[in-house]
Parts: sequence; C-alpha cells; structure tokens
Amino acid sequence: MRISFDSFQNSLTGQLAAMSTQMNSLQNQAATGKRISQLSDDPTTMQQVLDLQVQNSQIAQYQQNIASLQTQATSSYNAISGLQTISARAGDIATQADGVTSPQQMSAYATEVTQLIQQGVQLMNSTSQGAYLFGGTQINQPPFIATTDASGNVTGVTYQGNASVPSAEIARGATVAVQVPGANTSGSGPDGLITDSRSGADFFNHLIALQNDLLAGNTTAISSVDAPALAKDEDNITSQIAQNGLVQSHLSAADTLAATQSQSVDQTISQDSDADLAQTITQLSATQAAYQAALESAGKMLSQNETLLNYLS
Amino acid sequence: MLGLFGALSLGARSLQTQQQGVEVTGQNLANANNPAYARQRVEIQSSIPLPTSIGPEGTGAQVVAITQVRDTLLDQQVQGEASITASLQSQQTALQTAQTNLGEQLQSSSSSANATSDVGSTGALASDLSGLFNAFQDLSTSPSSMPSRQAVIAQAQQLTTQFNQLDQGLTSLNTQLNQSVQTDVTSANQLLSDIAGLNHQIAGTDPTSGAANDLIDLRQQKIETLSGLVNLQSATDSQGNTNLSVGGQLLVAGSTVQDTLQTYDSGGGQLLVRTASAGTPLTLTGGSIAGTIDARDGALKSLQDGLNTLAGQLISQVNTVYSPGYDLNGHTGANFFTGTNASNIGVNPTLANDPSALQASGVAGATGDNSVALALAQMANTAQAGLGNQTFAESYNGTITGLGASLNSVNTQLTTQQSIQTMLQNERSSVSGVSIDEEMTNLVTYQQAYQASAHFVSVIDQMLNTVVTMGQ
Repeated sequence: MRISFDSFQNSLTGQLAAMSTQMNSLQNQAATGKRISQLSDDPTTMQQVLDLQVQNSQIAQYQQNIASLQTQATSSYNAISGLQTISARAGDIATQADGVTSPQQMSAYATEVTQLIQQGVQLMNSTSQGAYLFGGTQINQPPFIATTDASGNVTGVTYQGNASVPSAEIARGATVAVQVPGANTSGSGPDGLITDSRSGADFFNHLIALQNDLLAGNTTAISSVDAPALAKDEDNITSQIAQNGLVQSHLSAADTLAATQSQSVDQTISQDSDADLAQTITQLSATQAAYQAALESAGKMLSQNETLLNYLS
Repeated sequence: MLGLFGALSLGARSLQTQQQGVEVTGQNLANANNPAYARQRVEIQSSIPLPTSIGPEGTGAQVVAITQVRDTLLDQQVQGEASITASLQSQQTALQTAQTNLGEQLQSSSSSANATSDVGSTGALASDLSGLFNAFQDLSTSPSSMPSRQAVIAQAQQLTTQFNQLDQGLTSLNTQLNQSVQTDVTSANQLLSDIAGLNHQIAGTDPTSGAANDLIDLRQQKIETLSGLVNLQSATDSQGNTNLSVGGQLLVAGSTVQDTLQTYDSGGGQLLVRTASAGTPLTLTGGSIAGTIDARDGALKSLQDGLNTLAGQLISQVNTVYSPGYDLNGHTGANFFTGTNASNIGVNPTLANDPSALQASGVAGATGDNSVALALAQMANTAQAGLGNQTFAESYNGTITGLGASLNSVNTQLTTQQSIQTMLQNERSSVSGVSIDEEMTNLVTYQQAYQASAHFVSVIDQMLNTVVTMGQ
C-alpha cells in the first residue's frame, strides 16, 4: 500500500486518541472501583444495579421501621409489665381480704386498690414518641379517664380509644402491629389489654368492684366474684406480655433477616458493578505500555523526519 | 532531419517539459498537508515526429495535461461514510447531554445501606423517588409525628423539583436540537450554492490545463462537508458537473441550484426538513441533521414521554390513595400532588405551610391510624397498570436505561464507523495523498532531465557556433 505524507500522522493521532480513551476509562474504573458508572456503560447491568439499589434502600427503610417499632414495643412492654405488677398485687389483696374482718383493714385495702387503679390508668396513658400507646388509633388523647367520688374512690374508668391498631411494614408485604388497644369489646380484631370481650378481661371495672366490695366488707363477693375475675385479667395481661415478647422476637428476626438481605444485595451490586481491580490495573498497564511505545516510535519518526530529502545532496 | 535549429527547439521543449514537471512536484509538496488535495502529475507525451526518408524522426516531448490522481469510487464511499459518522456523532452528543442531565451515576459508596441516598447518585430522581416512598414508610410507623410529616413533604418537594428540572433540561435540549437542525439546513443550502458555483467554474475551464484541479478539490471538500449534514446522491455528468440529490430530490444540476432545503414544523415544534420549492418532505438517512432528528424523536422523546407518564401515574395513583385520607384536623379530600406531568408536578402548597394537613389516616378523627400512609408506602412495590405493570422505580429505571442502551448502541456503532472511515480515508490517501519520498524522487528525475536537456542545448549551441565560424 502506498503511504502518503499524511497517512502516518492520521494513523498516529487516531491510535493515540483510541488508547487515551481506553486509558481514561480504565483509570476511572481503578479510581472509583466501579466497572460501570454511566447508564451507557452497560445498560442491562445498570438497570439490574439500579433495581437492586432500590431494593437495598427499601431494606434500609424496613430496618428503620423495625427500630421504631422496637422502641414502641419496648415502651408497651414496660407499661404492661407495670400493669402485671398491679394485677398481681390486686390478686394478693383479693386473697388476703378473704380472712379479714376488721373494717379498718378492709378500708386500707380499698384505698390501696384505689391507688392501684389510678396507677393503672396512669400506665395505660403512657406515650411513646408523643403518641398514646394504648388508645388504638386514637392517639391524641389519654385513652383512659378515671372518675372519682367525693371520697376519692374511683367510680369508673372510661376508655376513649378504639380497638384498631396500626400496622407497619417490616419486610416487603409483611406488616406487624406492635400496639395493643386498651379495650376491645367487638369480639374481633386485636385483644384488648384492659377490657377484652373474648377473654372476659375487664381489669379496671374488676378493680373498682374489688374496691367497692372491700369498702362494703363483702368478703363473699371478693372471694367468689372479684378474685376469679382478677385472675382472668391477670391471664389476659400475661398473655399480652407473651404477645409483646413474640412481636419483639419477630422484629428482631426481621432485623437480622433485613441485615442479611442487605448484605446479599450489596454483594450482588458489587459483583455486577465493581471493577476487578487486578484485571483493570493489568489492562491499564498494558495500555500504558502500548501508548508509551506508540509515543516513542512516533517521536523518533517525527524528530528524525526521515525522508529521501535527508539523503539528497 | 530536424537540423540544428530543430534540435535546439527539441531541447527547448524538453526544458519546458521538465520545468513543468518540477512545478507540479512543487505544487504537490506545497499541498502535502492539505487534506482536500489530490496529488497531481504531468502527462508527458512524445511530440509529433517528422517524417523523413529513413523513417519518422522524434521531436522530443511535451506536457499534454496535468491530471489529478483521484478514485471517484473511493470519494463516494468517503462521502457516504461521512454521512453515517456525522449522524452518529450528532446522536451521541444529544444523548450524552441527556444522560448528563439525568445525573444518574453509580457512586463508589453505593453499597452502603442508606434509606435515602444510595439509589443512583445523590440528588438524582431515582434517589428522590425511593426517598419519597421511604418517607411514607417512616410516616406509617409514626403517623402523627410532625418530623415524619415534614420529611414526607420535603422529600416530595425534592422529587417534584427533580421532575420539573429534568423536564426543563430535556425541553431545553429539544429546543437546542431544533436550532441545530435549522443551522445545519442553512449551512447545507450555502454549500449547495457553493457547489453549483464551482460546477460552473469547472465547466468553464480547459480540462487539460490542470486549472480545474484545485476547483475539483474544493468542490469535493464541500461535497464531503455537505455529506456530513445530509446524505447525498452525487453523479458526475459528461461536462464534469457533479449533480446532487437528497432523498431522491435533485438539488444541484450543473451550475443551477434546482431546489434548497427548508425546515418545517411537523407539529409540537419539532422541525423536519423538506425541499423549499417543491415542499417535498425528505426522509434523511444520514448526516448530522438526520442524527439530530433521530435522537430528538427517538431516544429523547421516549425518555421525556417515559418521565411524563411516570409523573402522571405518580400524581394520579398517589392522589387516589391519599385523597380519601384524613389529616390531623379531620379534614379530607385534598390531593397530595398537583399537576399532570413532569413539567408541572408539584406538592399541594397547603402542605408546605401545614404538615398537619397531610392526610395519613384512613379514619376520621383517628390520628394514629396509618392506613393511608401505609398504602402510599406500599405503592413502592405495587405494579402499576399504567406503567406496563412495573413499579414506579422499575419504570423509571427502565426509562433511563433505555436512554443508556441507545447511547451505548450509538457509541459502539460510532467506534466501528470511525474505524471504517479512517480505513477509507487512508485508502484514499494512499491513492490521492502526497508522498514526500515520491515527490522528491520525481523532483530529482525532472531536475536531472532538465540538466541533461540544458546540456543538450549547450551542445547544439556549440555545434551552431562551429557551423557559423566554419568559414572564418
């Protein structure tokens, strides 16, 4: 093939430009650790990576949801545990009052029960992150209101909440409710903590009955009606504590699973998009060597400017 | 027999011939770096011999023409490839600009789990879209929380701003591409006029004198520049005119511009090209004009349509779920998003001033109910019929990687195309390009022939002197 004067320059500039482009690409890969960074680098893999990143972002959010729900579950547990203590003490009083004949002793028990009711109401009006825990989805007002007579005895406790509880997602398509409504008399839905028609629990009313029977010295009613009723309440509360434990365990398992999934997705993203540094640097070295060789040979040819002219006298 | 005076004339012709050879060599050397130049050479023929009794006797040599060394087939191939290359280059430029506008780039820290900023690159639409649904998730765990409500509103505002800016960027790019089409058409018309003018000048020149060679070079250069704008069909007639057609429409016939190109609005402000006089719409298959139109009406339109569909679906689907919800004050019926597409999507302005107006609850008065917030959060993974049964994120990722695929295809084609063009240019250069070595050889050859001819004249001169002084 006949080589004209500009063939050499055209070929050289084209080859140097191609090698510069390749070196630039390899340098970017080595510097960022990413085999692909632009949409056009590898569109199919890029779409997979973008979808995986969305998945990873959702998993991270599920972990945040889980953390938030764990806080709420812990707050609920603390309140229910307190309620269990109250329930146990009320049961003790009902048992001990059975053999008491002194009106003063009965009155002292009644006063203690009154205080237990008020403590219970206070516990049931606990808040977490500014929201009442046991009002169902009525979270902007105290769920329980106690009314007292002139003597300070509790005459009634009204539930202002509802029987609904919110659920939140902890994994794709998996929701969990950590809250417990204070009362549920509908016969369906979540169990009520204080009042529940299915288990027969009606803790505050049973405490009020105990308080009133203590004041009246009606030991028969205490032993035959109040004590069994309070036992049902204690069973219900214990069941709720167990339920809370299950929920917390569920959340913990979901958190572990989310962390594992996130790690797995990270690995997949890494496999899809990360550069093989050893291979990249080897390729970069090879390209640099070729580039240097091209420059050196071109430099020699250009500097010596070898033509027939050099040899004509 | 020539006689001494005839021999002297022969020597003079020889000197003239070799001198012309040196001159053409000088012209070639002077244009060694002119890419449009095709090397020239002198055509030397023996002069007409004199008949003598012993047979015809030569009268030396003379230059009969200065010709260009051109391969018309290669020229036409270079023209055709120039059209394809220019088309791909203009597509590449347009698509790269759009890709830059999108701002979606994998970051080296992408593997770290973060609910708001690890999708695509921070601040890009993919991240904001994911961030909005994550904010709804967060709200579902604390539906009455003001910080969670503010986060939802801020994230939604960021997302809508991204949609607006992206749409604005693509609309602006569309305008620039239309301007580019207009500019290219103006340049093409100027070139058509120039080529017709050159046809006229070339036709009026003696083809054997070599005077037209430089004009032919210039015409070929302009034809190749024009090929970069539109794909041409060229044909050379018996008078040496190069006639040009585009899309089957004859535009240059000899020295006359039969018709020119003109842009017209095909609807929606999208400029296409037709012939100015006949008004015939042209389907261009090469050149930068075709590349610009292809990119504008192909990948970029798909991208913008995809974004508008996504924004439209997001607005309607979110509002459908959101509107029946209740805010912290028991109000209902408001929309979350305003607008209809990517250009005008916005967040209900009431929310910006009053986060309590966010309708996260599904039950009137139940501020702890999160059913609406949860339903909105779960929309992140819900296949939308209006998006081809894809989720919002899948639809967006599919849309933008569609652009990436188009650009990737153009990049690959362009790399191959540039190799083809370089090979063709080298091939043409091997035929028409100037070789210094070759020219120097020619120069020495002509120089030596010139010296020999001069010596011949000198000998004849001495012989004449001898004859003149013979009788003294």
